Amino acid sequence: MKNVRIVFSKTGRARYMSHLDLVRTMTRAVRRADIPLWYTEGFNRHPYITFAAPLSLGFESLYETMDLRLEEDMPFDVLVQRMNDAFPEGLRALSADEVKMKAGALFSAKYRLSLSATVAEVETFLEQPSIIMQKRTKKGGMKDVDIRPCLQEVSCESTDSGCDVTVTLPCNSTDTINPQMIHQALGMFLARELPPMRVLRLALYGENGQLFV
Amino acid sequence: MGYMLDDLLLQVQKPARYSGGELNSVVKDPSAVDVRFAFCFPDLYEVGMSHLGMKILYSQFNERSDIWCERVFAPDRDMEALMREKDIRLFGLESRDPIDGFDFIGFTLQYEMCYTTVLNMLDLAGVPLRAADRDERYPLVVAGGPCACNPEPLADFVDIFFLGEGEEVDLELIDLYKACRKEGYNKADFLKRAAQIEGVYVPSLYDVTYEEDGRVRAITPHEGVPATVKKRIIADLDACYYPDKFVVPFTEIVHDRFMSEIFRGCIRGCRFCQAGFIYRPVREKSVDTIDRQSRALCESTGYEEFSLSSLSTSDYTKLDELLTRLLAWAEDKKTNISLPSLRVDGFSEELANRLNVLRRSGLTFAPEAGTQRLRDAINKNLTEDEILDTARKAFSGGWSAVKLYFMMGLPTETDEDIVGIAQLGQRVVNAFYQNPDKPKGKGVTVSVSASCFVPKPFTPFQWEPQDTIEQLKEKQQLLSQSVTTKKISLSWHDAKTSFLEAVLARGDRRLGEVLEKAYRRGCNLDAWSEHFHFDVWMEVMAECGLDPAFYANRRRDYDEIFPWDHLDYGVNKAFLIRENKLAHESVTTPNCREKCAGCGASCWKGGVCVEKR
Repeated sequence: MKNVRIVFSKTGRARYMSHLDLVRTMTRAVRRADIPLWYTEGFNRHPYITFAAPLSLGFESLYETMDLRLEEDMPFDVLVQRMNDAFPEGLRALSADEVKMKAGALFSAKYRLSLSATVAEVETFLEQPSIIMQKRTKKGGMKDVDIRPCLQEVSCESTDSGCDVTVTLPCNSTDTINPQMIHQALGMFLARELPPMRVLRLALYGENGQLFV
Repeated sequence: MGYMLDDLLLQVQKPARYSGGELNSVVKDPSAVDVRFAFCFPDLYEVGMSHLGMKILYSQFNERSDIWCERVFAPDRDMEALMREKDIRLFGLESRDPIDGFDFIGFTLQYEMCYTTVLNMLDLAGVPLRAADRDERYPLVVAGGPCACNPEPLADFVDIFFLGEGEEVDLELIDLYKACRKEGYNKADFLKRAAQIEGVYVPSLYDVTYEEDGRVRAITPHEGVPATVKKRIIADLDACYYPDKFVVPFTEIVHDRFMSEIFRGCIRGCRFCQAGFIYRPVREKSVDTIDRQSRALCESTGYEEFSLSSLSTSDYTKLDELLTRLLAWAEDKKTNISLPSLRVDGFSEELANRLNVLRRSGLTFAPEAGTQRLRDAINKNLTEDEILDTARKAFSGGWSAVKLYFMMGLPTETDEDIVGIAQLGQRVVNAFYQNPDKPKGKGVTVSVSASCFVPKPFTPFQWEPQDTIEQLKEKQQLLSQSVTTKKISLSWHDAKTSFLEAVLARGDRRLGEVLEKAYRRGCNLDAWSEHFHFDVWMEVMAECGLDPAFYANRRRDYDEIFPWDHLDYGVNKAFLIRENKLAHESVTTPNCREKCAGCGASCWKGGVCVEKR
């Protein structure tokens, strides 16, 4: 019995799956794939499947992870092949391996945001010394947070419809910033309603910037 | 359009309802098919995707390389507003192409309250609502499902109705369409030829005249079409097409499981139940067929659960054998079997435990009426002893919740019958406390749910008046006062919705104008209470000079011509009249397996009608 981490992408029409949808879809996919899954004991038996970092509805990703617990060993390449045969459009298993880093070791995520704003606008936006946004606390209240210090590795590239911003944002137990917050902050800064952005998650990292594996 | 639509989807609730791309959905090359069919369910995705008939026909059509069938559901309010604002026409989920360019727009009519949604979907598709305004440039609008047994309120909007089961007749029509296309397509000519196919009803080829008081005077066929249209059935279900794949939605739907159909029709003949008459005769699938089909679906969908689908699971003749066969592999695959419409009493304890029959839904009964006299009148063959016995068994097994379903406003009903509902509930409560091995430390909950009776065509109650809204409300009050314990929780359906349902169920073509006006004033998704505008409906009826009470609350004479009299569902009027009279005498009729009641469905020479008894 051991845990396997599968890296997969979620793109195209699959981005309209919410996290709960994804859990359901994955459960059914592994059942179809005829993988020797370990099921929980007890009254409501279900397979053990966990995800390191839930992805917001509407976002695409090239690097998601899912941990499965298997009842018996299975070659990783066979596992990947079977998953891909069972996946619907938009989901693709990229690799499988032993779980090397604990879920708690996840530290940050790199995103590409496709915004309807010019590179110049985004650069001016980033020149602000602080960007105060309201964030919902776990207790249900609101608190002010400065998101500017979190926007460290930012690069902008001009596109036909605006610009692509690549940014690494924290997603760990002490700090999490959803790309949506940047979109919102930018809209407020530019004092206009920005059309919805496209978001692509590029990678997940551990604390020292190593890939989350 | 792709990009535009994707932008919209980021702004609506549960976008996976509109994205398409689900597992097992079928995508084809549009240039490689002859016929494109938009299969529309006039309700939201989560309701429509739970419907078995759509899954069967979707897969069957797509088995043919010359047909591409796509799914279309009613958009929710937020999506619809955006579609109208951005001028995006209703599209097929698979191709995202607007459906006004398809050959067919087909609707399944599962309940009367979806009629305005049919109109709304046509409008969103950008096609004229009325059949007469749609020439060869527009798709043909077709419809089937149980409401097609009296489709007259929709007669002005729909080109063709399919009566009965669609597996054969739908494809025959599509083949005729293909042939006509080759010869140079002319809609009027096509409709005339289509009307010659058994099970195909072309309403525009029948004229309806009315008496001064509003009753139908005559229904006259023209252009040489048959005077009556007979429904179609599949006599041998083992030979009938059944999909080996279901589309597996991303988002949660109402019935999130796959379904194995085990039989069609029902032997019981409960006199209020339309399904019990229009799907006759009862035809079963063999254990082998069900086992094979269930396995295939289990493997292709990955669902954790499946249900056996029929009108009354316990009436399957080899239920024990079937369940033993299914459990042999389902337990291994950690797949649950759910059994709706079940009489729990007929089960061996071992099977009941293996199935966890009680675990999921608790214990549910549908006595429908509060007294034995009224249960006899409606031919609901369930006795109080049976209910109490089973409840006691369940209580001993550790369960403490029971649901009881009733109807109010049934023909011959008196106050005594209403009080009887509360008394029956009370007796179930008492049975719990009198039980020596009842669950420790728990109280009992008995949920009593009372809906309002709606008289339907092709039932023995098609002549009966529905109680008025006031009468129904009084009965609800009486019931409420009759319940004296907090152990019983009461709930009931909105009488106004049932009233409108009764108007439409036995309606005629004059209601077409009402539907259109109601729709123009914003009526849509009427089955959802938050969207139902009763006052608008009443205003519109008045404007059209029609009295809803004429349709809902009027007793008909046996010799009255009904708006659906030219449609033949095998069950003949003489039988229905006999049953109506027996109801008024509170005399029951044995079920089809005990004794043939001579309803007329034996004309198909199938199922129970030819079984050895």
